[in-house]
Amino acid sequence: MTFPYGKAPFWILVLTLLSASVIVALRTGRTTERPDLVFCIFADNHVAAYRKAIAEFEKTHHVKIQLQMLGYDAFTSRLQSAMLTGAEVPDMVELLISTMGYFTRGPLEEVGFVDLTDRLRKEGLYGRMVEERFSVWSSRGHVFALPHDVHPVMLFYRRDLIDRLGIKVDDLKTWDDFTAMGRRITKDLDGDGIPDRYAIDLDSKGGEFLQMLLLQRGGGLFDAGGSVTFDTPLTADTILWYLHVMRGPHRIGFEAGWGQSLAKAVNDGLVLFFVCPDWRSKQFELDVPNLSGQVALMPLPAWAPGGRRTSTWGGTGLAITKACRNQDLAWEFAKFLYLKKEELGERFRDTSILSALKDSWDMPAFDEPRAFYSGQPIGRLYAGLAPRIPACYVSPYTQLAGAKLTEAYLNAAEYFDKHGDEGLRDFIDRELARCAQYVRTVMQRNVFLRPEAPGSREGAR
Amino acid sequence: MNDLRKRPAGGRSARWTPWVFLAPYLALTAVFFVYPFINAVLLAFQQTNGPRSHVWVGLDNFRFVLSDPDFYTALWNTTVYALVSVFVQLPLALGLALMLNAGRSRLKGFFRLLLFSPNLVGQIFVGVIFSVIFMPRYGMFNQFLQALIGWGLEERWLSNPSLVMPALIVTSLWLYVGFNMIYFLAALQNVEKDLVEAATVDGAGPWRVFWHVTLPSIKPVAVFVVVMSTIGSYQLFELPYALLKGFGPKNSGLTIVGYLYNTAFAAGDLGTGSAVGWILALIIAVISLAQLRISHAARE
Repeated sequence: MTFPYGKAPFWILVLTLLSASVIVALRTGRTTERPDLVFCIFADNHVAAYRKAIAEFEKTHHVKIQLQMLGYDAFTSRLQSAMLTGAEVPDMVELLISTMGYFTRGPLEEVGFVDLTDRLRKEGLYGRMVEERFSVWSSRGHVFALPHDVHPVMLFYRRDLIDRLGIKVDDLKTWDDFTAMGRRITKDLDGDGIPDRYAIDLDSKGGEFLQMLLLQRGGGLFDAGGSVTFDTPLTADTILWYLHVMRGPHRIGFEAGWGQSLAKAVNDGLVLFFVCPDWRSKQFELDVPNLSGQVALMPLPAWAPGGRRTSTWGGTGLAITKACRNQDLAWEFAKFLYLKKEELGERFRDTSILSALKDSWDMPAFDEPRAFYSGQPIGRLYAGLAPRIPACYVSPYTQLAGAKLTEAYLNAAEYFDKHGDEGLRDFIDRELARCAQYVRTVMQRNVFLRPEAPGSREGAR
Repeated sequence: MNDLRKRPAGGRSARWTPWVFLAPYLALTAVFFVYPFINAVLLAFQQTNGPRSHVWVGLDNFRFVLSDPDFYTALWNTTVYALVSVFVQLPLALGLALMLNAGRSRLKGFFRLLLFSPNLVGQIFVGVIFSVIFMPRYGMFNQFLQALIGWGLEERWLSNPSLVMPALIVTSLWLYVGFNMIYFLAALQNVEKDLVEAATVDGAGPWRVFWHVTLPSIKPVAVFVVVMSTIGSYQLFELPYALLKGFGPKNSGLTIVGYLYNTAFAAGDLGTGSAVGWILALIIAVISLAQLRISHAARE
């Protein structure tokens, strides 16, 4: 018997059927082997600690948990696409603060994560954790992730060089004190007209540094209700200060960049201070081990005498997706991972990241002196500042608002370069108003966030 | 006499045979072209939140995009980049191709590979490398400028809004000049040598030979390169995204596709993203048609 359409179509058909069968067989096999929970993370410094915790949890609960680690960008875009298209998603995910808003831009009932508000209340976790951190993971009063950390901010400095210059960091109580000191030490040492020593590393575009300073001062991009709040006199004052620190002949700040570039600048003594949230402290320790014993940390200078000496920058949280088949198990695992005191002490030793669980700060690991930081017990220093971190409110439009604040700052910088201080304050006010209005216009377009929102069910099809 | 309308052997099954062979193509076209096309048209008139919620908003997405200053920033940036591609990058590519075509050196192949090789590594890799090269103080480009003209050590090519576009152009020149050169080189190698020799014998100098013989001969390829380069410029996305880790301060490196990405994926508004996509398609169609018309008119 011969195939009526010839040999080639026959073999194409055979290959198609064969490959289809293999795919189906593989998928079936995979389904039967599916673990009880799939947990996806992006931070490679969490992997070792989580593997250890997973092994213990699996043993005590007789379940199987699969840990998947992806690069941050790949992870975020895949999760966003999967949520957009309704494709398969992990049971649990760790998210960065900046991405949370994306997932909460629609009606509350369509947020792809489990609402943890009642569970948190029932288990009394609001009191046990740093309450301000829940604001980062909330939308319209509902919490969608368990906060992993606090991320208080301190100033890192080259203790050896600062001592040699005769500066006492205890005297740097306010940013005015700091600026005055910075003007003294920022210098062109070789006479080529370009400074070779700057006081501090700050972003020349403002960016997240400016937002962090604004938070310290009590401002921010949004308020608790999700309204835009960056067009205020407080923001204008902060921009004014930042401009004088970063531009003009009396500047004391230099943008040294990130990673190896910053490490080299600090190593060379090009910048003597940099802003150091807890997550950055370990990173730098690993980047420049040769500076061990020559560096130290100090609280941020306050904006006014007696004011707040810290801020907060960044954050990770753990969310359970609505697709999770065993949400109670996922919640148990989340608590095991984030709330087990002894583990958190050990984890601080490895990552220098302060957990949001206040009880854990009593662990001995937080009092250990760190040789790299000239013997300072940095855990105690960060923990001491943690209760004073400002609340940080996020919105689906946080990234847009951040970009527009940067735009306002850069326009003000151009104005300052051309005209100096004359009329600068009015210009900043106008720019802030324009940029904030833009964000409001974009927000108002979102039919899903309007008070009379189509509610997803009635208005949506 | 043979009956021309006679059914082919095999009867009914033979009548379906062409459809069986066409079926995979038709199915793929329907799934991957017709359906997305219709969906993209509908999407441009809706606001969405994930797969479940769609709200009809009429022309609101188009109204918003056309009144958004960020869209015009993106359009301006993309147009500047496209103009530089056509008026700087392509003449450079042609110049290099002419040089390589004229020389008789054994190193011709080596230079061809050398100039083409940046294209082998891809836009993301080039973006990452140049973000280090443009670093203030420590970057190779800054140190080179400082040594050469005593300026540029602390210049922030990637964070000063007025320097972002020049940095992007320098990077794209490095990346694409060699690529376009290959097209021109292939075209130049097909120019009839008899014509060139005849013109030379008649007393035409190199410039006249180029203008009256070489250029008309490579015109179809040149038109193709100009059109493709313009379309490519209007679709620019990865290079600024990797180089600037976003689209630069004050959107100074924002392109139209970058704007589309920001609205559709970073902000999650697929409807507005789709509207931007249609506007972009229209812009590209108009410009390409205009270019083809101009080249056609010039030929006549």
